[in-house]
Amino acid sequence: MIWEVFRQEKAGGYHAHCGNVHAPDREMARQFAAIQHGRRKPTNSLWVVPREEIGEIGADEVAFGGTTDKIYRWATAYNTTAGDASEVVESEDEQATAERRRGDDR
Amino acid sequence: MWRSSAKGESVPIYNDMDLDAIEERAGPRAFSPADELPREYREAATRMIEFHANSEIMGAYLERPFIRQAPSIDRKLAFSAKTQDEIGHAQLLYRAAETLGVKSREEMLDDLANGDGKFLNCFHYPLESWVEVPMISFFVDGAAMRRQATLRRTSWEPYAHAMDKVCFEEGFHVKHGEDILTELMTGSRKERRLTQAAFEEWWPRIIQFFGPTDDDSTHHDFAAAVGLKQQSNDELRDAFLDQYIPKARKHGLEIPDEPRIRERDDGTYAVEEDDLDWDEFFTIAKNEYEPGVGQIDERKRAREAVGWVRDALEDDAVAADGTAPQAAD
Repeated sequence: MIWEVFRQEKAGGYHAHCGNVHAPDREMARQFAAIQHGRRKPTNSLWVVPREEIGEIGADEVAFGGTTDKIYRWATAYNTTAGDASEVVESEDEQATAERRRGDDR
Repeated sequence: MWRSSAKGESVPIYNDMDLDAIEERAGPRAFSPADELPREYREAATRMIEFHANSEIMGAYLERPFIRQAPSIDRKLAFSAKTQDEIGHAQLLYRAAETLGVKSREEMLDDLANGDGKFLNCFHYPLESWVEVPMISFFVDGAAMRRQATLRRTSWEPYAHAMDKVCFEEGFHVKHGEDILTELMTGSRKERRLTQAAFEEWWPRIIQFFGPTDDDSTHHDFAAAVGLKQQSNDELRDAFLDQYIPKARKHGLEIPDEPRIRERDDGTYAVEEDDLDWDEFFTIAKNEYEPGVGQIDERKRAREAVGWVRDALEDDAVAADGTAPQAAD
């Protein structure tokens, strides 16, 4: 049975997929995950999840974010007066980064 | 460990852990569902997150009519995207709250419908014309963002994670709100006059967004001691004034004489708290303010009207795999 493994590096962080283990049950999966995925990289916690319990939807089935121009959804689409609150600037920066990574900024 | 809620759903229960130990460990994102947390912590966190989630819903319902009343197609698209975001934020927050094992999502939604659920003061007032829209989508959302940015460091990890996504999205709301304000304040003389009047009406309520002063805040001390709250009501309100008074002026809005605003020597601002209507505020806090009661009932009717959609989804899920979905799934 295959168990997908998700690692959280530090308390409070997100669990991110880091690999999988072959194990007969949940307890063994936890032990194998600790050995295979928790030894070198910084690890605070691991989740093990049976592979067949994971649902997936891919870019070949759905257009993530839709197919129409949704520029109006981005903070970067609005030019307002200078002197935005720091948390607004931070949000806009995060959105600008996401736009670049999606390739939407062209 | 699990218990059955009033609705017969499974909700997790945790053994009590020493309160002193909690205070000692209470850093940003310190506690996750894997921790055994004392009842007091879980109840305080539930109250805070449930209030936040309810506010997202009630705010979205307040703004919803303006999807239809938006003056242009661009505004309509942006405004419907924003309202959709807010409903999504409520979903994230109810998830973060129900993991505490105090109340299920169903219980929280029922309480909001029957008038027991509490939510933000600003969303108890009617929103009647387009010139009022930036009062919510710029000033109230700006105030919310100020508070939410500090909550990315709250001690309940699922709440902090929800705030990561909320803050990511919210920048668009505030900037779009400011864009509407810009349009109105550079529009006709009538538009400017009506916008100024709306601002005067909303300004005291917006300041009260941050709740009573620290000495009158019932829940602050505990919430701060266990790291749920990262800044006091007074700190947040002052930080908001410092940022948004200059913004309002930049748009040509005049700050009303009441409540009196003091400018400190260092250029920061403080409000004269006694000039604000705290009787009205606490009437609202009890869900007894008339327009707010109507808004709660209106949302209840809307929820009932789409009950068939929820039923269809549930029936479909049961038919698909033969098991009923669990609340905690």
